[in-house]
Amino acid sequence: MSFTHLHVSTAFSAHYGVSWPDELAQAAAADGATALACTDRDGLYGTIKHLKACMDAGIDPIVGVDLAVFDDDGDHRTQVAGRVVVLAHGNNNGAGYRALCRLISDAHARTSGKAGGVIPVAVTRGELASRTLDPQTLKPVLTVLIGPDSDVGQAMGGRKYLRPRTLFKQWIDAMPPGTVVAEVVTHLSAPGVPLSTAHAVRMLKLALEYNIPAVLTNAVRYCAQDGAATADVLDSARTLKSLPELSAAPMLQPTGQGWLKNAHHMIQLGKEIMTAAGQGKADLHKLLANTEALADKCRIDPVLDMGWKKPVVPEASIIGIENDPMVELTQRCDAGITKRFPGITGEAEKQVRSRLEHELGIIARLGFASYFLTVAEVSRMILEMGVRVAARGSGASSLVNYLIDISQVDPIRHDLIFERFLSGRRSTLPDIDIDVESAERHNVYRKIFDRFGAERVTLMSMQNGYRARGAVRDAGLALGMDDGEVGEIAKQLWRFSARKFREALVEKPELRSFAERVEQGGLGENQQLDLLVDLTERLDRLPRHISMHPCGVILGDATLLDRTPVQPSGLGLPMSQFDKHDMDPMGMLKLDVLGVRMQSAMAFAVREVIRLHPSKAEVVAAGRHPVEPGGTGPDFIAEDGRIDLNSVPFDDEPTFELIRSTHTLGCFQIESPGQRELIGKMAPREFNDLIIDISLFRPGPMKSDMVRPFLEHRHGFAPEQYPHPDLKPALQETHGVTVFHEQILKTFHVMTGCGLDRADEFRRALGNEVLEPGVESYFRREAIKNYSPEVVDAVWGTLKAFGSFGFCKAHGAAFAVPTYQSAWLKAHHPEAFLAGLWEHDPGMYPKRLLVAEARRLGIPILPLDINRSQAEYRVEKIQDGPQQGKLGIRLSLTGIYGLSGAELKRIVAGQPYDSLADLRARARVSKPNIKRLAQLGAFDVLHKDSGGKANRADLVHHLQALQSSPTKKTSDVIEGQLSFALGDIELRNLAPELPEPSMVDNVRAELDLMAVDVSGHLMDSHRPLLDKLGVTTADKLLGLRNGTEVLVAGVRVATQTPPMRGGRRVVFISIDDGTGCVDSVFFHEAQEESGPLLFGTRLLLIRGTTRRTGPKGISLSATKAWDLSRPERLPFAELLPSGGAPPDEYTHRGALHGISRNLAITGLGS
Amino acid sequence: MGLFSESVEVGCTETGQPHTVQWKGTQYTVSSEPDRWYERRQWWLEENRAPLGTGAGLVDHEIWRVQLQPPQTDAPAPAAGPITLDLVRHVNSGRWRLLRIHAAAPARAVEPDEAA
Repeated sequence: MSFTHLHVSTAFSAHYGVSWPDELAQAAAADGATALACTDRDGLYGTIKHLKACMDAGIDPIVGVDLAVFDDDGDHRTQVAGRVVVLAHGNNNGAGYRALCRLISDAHARTSGKAGGVIPVAVTRGELASRTLDPQTLKPVLTVLIGPDSDVGQAMGGRKYLRPRTLFKQWIDAMPPGTVVAEVVTHLSAPGVPLSTAHAVRMLKLALEYNIPAVLTNAVRYCAQDGAATADVLDSARTLKSLPELSAAPMLQPTGQGWLKNAHHMIQLGKEIMTAAGQGKADLHKLLANTEALADKCRIDPVLDMGWKKPVVPEASIIGIENDPMVELTQRCDAGITKRFPGITGEAEKQVRSRLEHELGIIARLGFASYFLTVAEVSRMILEMGVRVAARGSGASSLVNYLIDISQVDPIRHDLIFERFLSGRRSTLPDIDIDVESAERHNVYRKIFDRFGAERVTLMSMQNGYRARGAVRDAGLALGMDDGEVGEIAKQLWRFSARKFREALVEKPELRSFAERVEQGGLGENQQLDLLVDLTERLDRLPRHISMHPCGVILGDATLLDRTPVQPSGLGLPMSQFDKHDMDPMGMLKLDVLGVRMQSAMAFAVREVIRLHPSKAEVVAAGRHPVEPGGTGPDFIAEDGRIDLNSVPFDDEPTFELIRSTHTLGCFQIESPGQRELIGKMAPREFNDLIIDISLFRPGPMKSDMVRPFLEHRHGFAPEQYPHPDLKPALQETHGVTVFHEQILKTFHVMTGCGLDRADEFRRALGNEVLEPGVESYFRREAIKNYSPEVVDAVWGTLKAFGSFGFCKAHGAAFAVPTYQSAWLKAHHPEAFLAGLWEHDPGMYPKRLLVAEARRLGIPILPLDINRSQAEYRVEKIQDGPQQGKLGIRLSLTGIYGLSGAELKRIVAGQPYDSLADLRARARVSKPNIKRLAQLGAFDVLHKDSGGKANRADLVHHLQALQSSPTKKTSDVIEGQLSFALGDIELRNLAPELPEPSMVDNVRAELDLMAVDVSGHLMDSHRPLLDKLGVTTADKLLGLRNGTEVLVAGVRVATQTPPMRGGRRVVFISIDDGTGCVDSVFFHEAQEESGPLLFGTRLLLIRGTTRRTGPKGISLSATKAWDLSRPERLPFAELLPSGGAPPDEYTHRGALHGISRNLAITGLGS
Repeated sequence: MGLFSESVEVGCTETGQPHTVQWKGTQYTVSSEPDRWYERRQWWLEENRAPLGTGAGLVDHEIWRVQLQPPQTDAPAPAAGPITLDLVRHVNSGRWRLLRIHAAAPARAVEPDEAA
């Protein structure tokens, strides 16, 4: 006899369930079950995975939810009275599933969507009652299980014998007939404890008394016994209490019996309950029969009930289309040809037309015209908002996308293949990703909701699972370990899966001291460390919570909210409980609208350019743009000075010069240490080189060693080789090396004549253990008809090795556009570009490095000034002094520690101020913030103008003193009467007493309050020691021979551990020393030598040998590193050239000393 | 009543219920239907390791409360009533240990404890 589990939480019940849907479904099927329920807490988070798991296991899915119910007698909005399980009835064309979705959305509707909200996720009994009946047929479509977690079950522990009866009666009275069952559960806990057999008996008897069906479940939280300990740890993480605390409360599960017991065990449990209840065999039979009858009622047909894999797009009418969407799309494409290819004729036109016909044919066959029109509508809407927008991804492969303004890349010119994006052999909606300015992303979302209607749009969510650091923190919490100690351990965990913690202890040098302590486990204080490792591994990957996906927006028709439950996101807009993996199965159209900070930075830069140079002539002069004889400059600059970035031709020589110089900090996609190295080696000359560069710098090509042969062929060090002349057209642009997916497709097609659509399927199968052999035999069978065995062998070798790793050229092309545009801005308008970067912080580096980059470029950094600084960074023409006429960047008031948004707004609104008193009166800035502004020099000019003799230190001291004195009620200026401008008496009369603050003091204040070093570089204060040590600066490295041993020193700006050929970890650490970046690489030995310094330290002294990477590129192969912030620990005897003594006061502390803002300064989390 | 941790020999029925108990050199028979339940363990104190795959028995253990009838003896002895013991079966080894001795009448369940 089989048994169906109706109450099962999967791992997607965050901080509650332990096992994954496929484990559960496999286990159930192995035991002979024909169905399995998934009843996650608060939502359908695991439901779609459950559907797939059940289909794979060959059993029927049952879907439901475990929900809290508000207490009818308590405060109706905050007090809950237990939890119930709600199951959807199946095989009713989705009526049950619809009701379930709506019910869950009800439960979340009142919550804030923010962490720590006071309103719980719960439904009222009234909502529950009304959702159980289908609004059309008024028949029950949901069943509610009243079990041990319900108010009824919870009341059984009390001494009031009647209480459970009263509560049970209330349920029966409140719910429509036929919608309630009693859920009988025993976890075999001690008599009188929740989940004991005695409680199960009482529930059973209630059901018998009121003639309500009783069903048997095991309230499952884990697949097998082993999961019980993990469940304990999850309870700890959920309640934020340690296991000892939970145990004392007692709030832990009373036993570890909540596993997916097999039918034999479940029947045995049923027998025990019946024996204890004094009931007989017939009653047991009835209990089990009820359970199976309910299971049968709830079997879900994935297709008919839930629309499995059936694409749904917005109704054509909603995007204003009256006629056939296909006709409309065709017309728009025709219009697009005129616009995108003006004056095209002859062979070229024929090529465009035939490509268009081909694409439209496929779109028509799939019935996806509305989809393209929908995306085009979104694109158009964003452009109309005046927001920068660009398509990314394989969408760039489509001519249709180019013609209807979704994409900005001409697929014919770049030889991109439509089948890589969409073919007749795929029935799922293709992905079109849209990049917009990050600062405008939320506005774009709101606009989409407005445009399509809230019933058709919701944000997509994402599951956030445990990674090593979070897992070790929560494992430590469970064990009741000291926060600080766990924090120290967490700091050393660097990007590996928590499941491999124990393995990592053996391998990773930075974990060595921790590993030793674990070794000594059992010796008292370290006894817990071994457990800590085990529990951390247990938590690995388990979902912690869902959050708004960074870019996914789901668009549907008017039935969308019948197909997905939604809950408020932090943004206030509703968010689906489904994540990206659920989109295709549920036929949902997901649009990736990604906020790209670089787009914001570029938009900002363009606005700054026009603000400073409000005419075409001025912009042309400032940017040194080419002017043809007799002309006025390029067409992409409008008369009012506005630059149309998308129209800038891709052949600007100064832009490529800048790229080749490798000074590409701040440029999209090519600023990382590895990319700067590659750029230096490759020396790009044209736009297609950028596409290749971006495509090469990917894990796949890097891992499979595509880069070296490509560079050798490109520079002519080795002759290009083609396996066969037929393949030359496909492989020529990359000198015979297969880099792009598109080339794989062409190779298949050329050699087997399989067609590009099948070729793309073959490409997807490469690297798949099950499918690849079939592809190989097909390829060999077909190719041998026209090619020699040697050629077939060689080509298959390439396909096999490279196929699964290559990069889609369309992606590369879409990326290369903003790469080129950002480099163009940096080459021609560096001040505006850097201001944009500072404002929107788009890159991988801490902002302070971009400030250092301005310094390196000789762009003046203008200090904070209460009357000149705005809420954003501004480019300013310098009015006087030695740099008169130059453009500098004025620091912004945003991002000063402590200064609130409201204060900032008032300061800017009230500018200018003639005195501190004026600032206090009108901007109402708090005393501590006035002092902070003074520390940052924001009053220096005001102070000087007042004629005062004192310095910044005196002012800070004065303000500090004021801070501790009680506030005097200042007499407000009477309305209509202007205060007489006296200048600042306060500043003028300040007595000069203290010495001027040192540069180190000023820089330290800047780092502390703004996380950037402005007045000077933070490394300046270490210079005397570094000079003594003979340290080489970044700007001097390029002049050295390859293989020179050097010492370098600087502040960390980037740490990366990219995947490497061979699998051995390589750590890249980049430091900034004020003259530029030094990129160093730590191979295995150097990692062993440096141990915990690899990831924990901010200031590094590194010894290594130079590696020349190209004409303009040099990096360092490190041998050892030291912590420069502890100079007293440096081995001077070893380091000093002639055994000399360290300089006087070498132990003095640098500007970073005592500052804890790690992340913003060095990019290292703490 | 007291708390103990001493090994006892238990004979079981086919369905796994304790049937006879060998304790302090005396062979007892279980006199009435025993009670069975599970109790938590404070595994984070009692264990040094809890790796994935540890299996059953980490979080809870199986307790049997048995009433023992002393064997009939010829010697005049103080009126020996039935004895109530709580026994634990170790999951992996299948060995039994004595957890608690109750006064003559079965006491209510006491807090789980173990002096392992």
